[in-house]
Amino acid sequence: MILKSFRESIFPHFPPNLLPLVDTISNYIYVWRFGAFPLWYLNSVIIAITTTAGSVFIGALAGYAFARLEFKGRDVLFYIVLATLMIPFPVITVAEYIMMVDIHWVNTYQAVIIPSMVSAVNIFLMRQYFTTIPTEVEEAARIDGLKTHQIFLRIAAPLAKPAFAAAAIYTFLSAWNSFLWPLFVLQTPNHFTLPLAINFFKGANGVQIYWNQMTAAEVLSLLPTLIIYIVFERYFIRGIAINVNKG
Amino acid sequence: MNGKEGKSNTTGYLFILPAFALIISFMLFPAAFSLLISLMHYDLFFHEIYPVGLLNYATVLSDPLFRISLLHALEYTAIVVPVQTLLAFAFALIFNEETKLARITRATVFIPAVTSSAVMSVLFIYVFSSAGLLNAFLRLFGIHPQNWLLSTTWAFPAIMALNIFSTTPYFMVMFLASLQSIPSSIMDAAAIDGVRTAIQRARFFYVPLLRFSFFFVAVLGIIGSMQLFDQVYIMTAGGPGTSTYVPLMYIYNEAFIYDNFGVAAAASFVLFIIIMALTITQRKLIPEIRWA
Repeated sequence: MILKSFRESIFPHFPPNLLPLVDTISNYIYVWRFGAFPLWYLNSVIIAITTTAGSVFIGALAGYAFARLEFKGRDVLFYIVLATLMIPFPVITVAEYIMMVDIHWVNTYQAVIIPSMVSAVNIFLMRQYFTTIPTEVEEAARIDGLKTHQIFLRIAAPLAKPAFAAAAIYTFLSAWNSFLWPLFVLQTPNHFTLPLAINFFKGANGVQIYWNQMTAAEVLSLLPTLIIYIVFERYFIRGIAINVNKG
Repeated sequence: MNGKEGKSNTTGYLFILPAFALIISFMLFPAAFSLLISLMHYDLFFHEIYPVGLLNYATVLSDPLFRISLLHALEYTAIVVPVQTLLAFAFALIFNEETKLARITRATVFIPAVTSSAVMSVLFIYVFSSAGLLNAFLRLFGIHPQNWLLSTTWAFPAIMALNIFSTTPYFMVMFLASLQSIPSSIMDAAAIDGVRTAIQRARFFYVPLLRFSFFFVAVLGIIGSMQLFDQVYIMTAGGPGTSTYVPLMYIYNEAFIYDNFGVAAAASFVLFIIIMALTITQRKLIPEIRWA
């Protein structure tokens, strides 16, 4: 299994026969010039970054509220959030698509971004983390007269950086790799995200698929993912740890 | 303190407002709307929309295609979930070290999990093809090469293998996280008390201590497996024949090809009920797990 993933990364450069390096680079150039590749890349970038920023921030707000603020119905509302995790996405997507048609959001950025900003997982993760931050600092701040939103922005949030990092990584990866919802909603090839483009790419050359170029395309689309992963490996595992060690 | 009660209420609500606005608009409302749609004939193209009672459900439940897809989903879940859970656990045990080598191999093994399903699927179309990696590998053992995805017997197992390969790392990390939270003092005490071999350690400590993780991984696995879509859509579109047809393909086809959103919605609810039934059964079987 490990060998396979090694092979995967080496593979774009070695189809069944070994080819010289020059050929390889030309593959990447070809892919970059093919269709609307830069546009697809851009689409994916915009969508992923916006979704991540929105989802993490909103999740942090909610998570903080559930962890530290007192208000009526807090627990009930939290269970509602958890319950949404149970709803399988086909149930939601069919209706959501019709909603998008009705409000003329089909084939737009916002149709992909905004529904994806909902994240019970992020809320859950942020709440978990906020409950582990000692309250003394916040209490001191409150005595000093800071209002709640200031406490959040200046004290709690900076303290929760690992959680932010973990949530951001997850959300980014999930948005970057998302396939089903963009497939429903994005209809013209120019608007595609990378996963859709790769699927489209595979059919575009007819029956004979040029695997060198295919894999080059895939590597390019994996780049952000890999970079993020390598850089943030520690946070990644810690994020999962926060979720799993509940029991 | 009492004077602040009213104020805190508002602040709390304000904080959760964006999240809840989104949850209501894009999760709760669509779910309810879906229920409504499932009771109607909803034709987007010709704009024919009218209520039909439970007709859609009858259509779905009597449609042999849907039944096949359900059967496949259950088959798939029954095989993939145990395999990936156990493999993930095994790998977590193996990788539960802090050596440099372990960290590097962990990182590489995780790559399939962070790769998009589209990329994995397309890549594996190649791997499984007649000229592909898998056959090159099997030829070493003298097994005849064939295009695995074009075979009615092997296409589905091929997809199962692909998914096991790509999701096991994710669950492995979950187990790892749990393993690493076990204080080493417990293990040392156990060693002194006579628990020596790795197998003993596993049996008496890791398995019981990780009960919650097992459950969590299994539930997530079931929910995810029943909703398999991306790989099937990209690699085989349900074929050859109907050998890889899964419920989500059925829903997709009904909605976007046959323009039968009502039927699609009904099918998704049937799937929902089945998944819930599976999850509840699991919970009943393992009563000592608390949720929150």
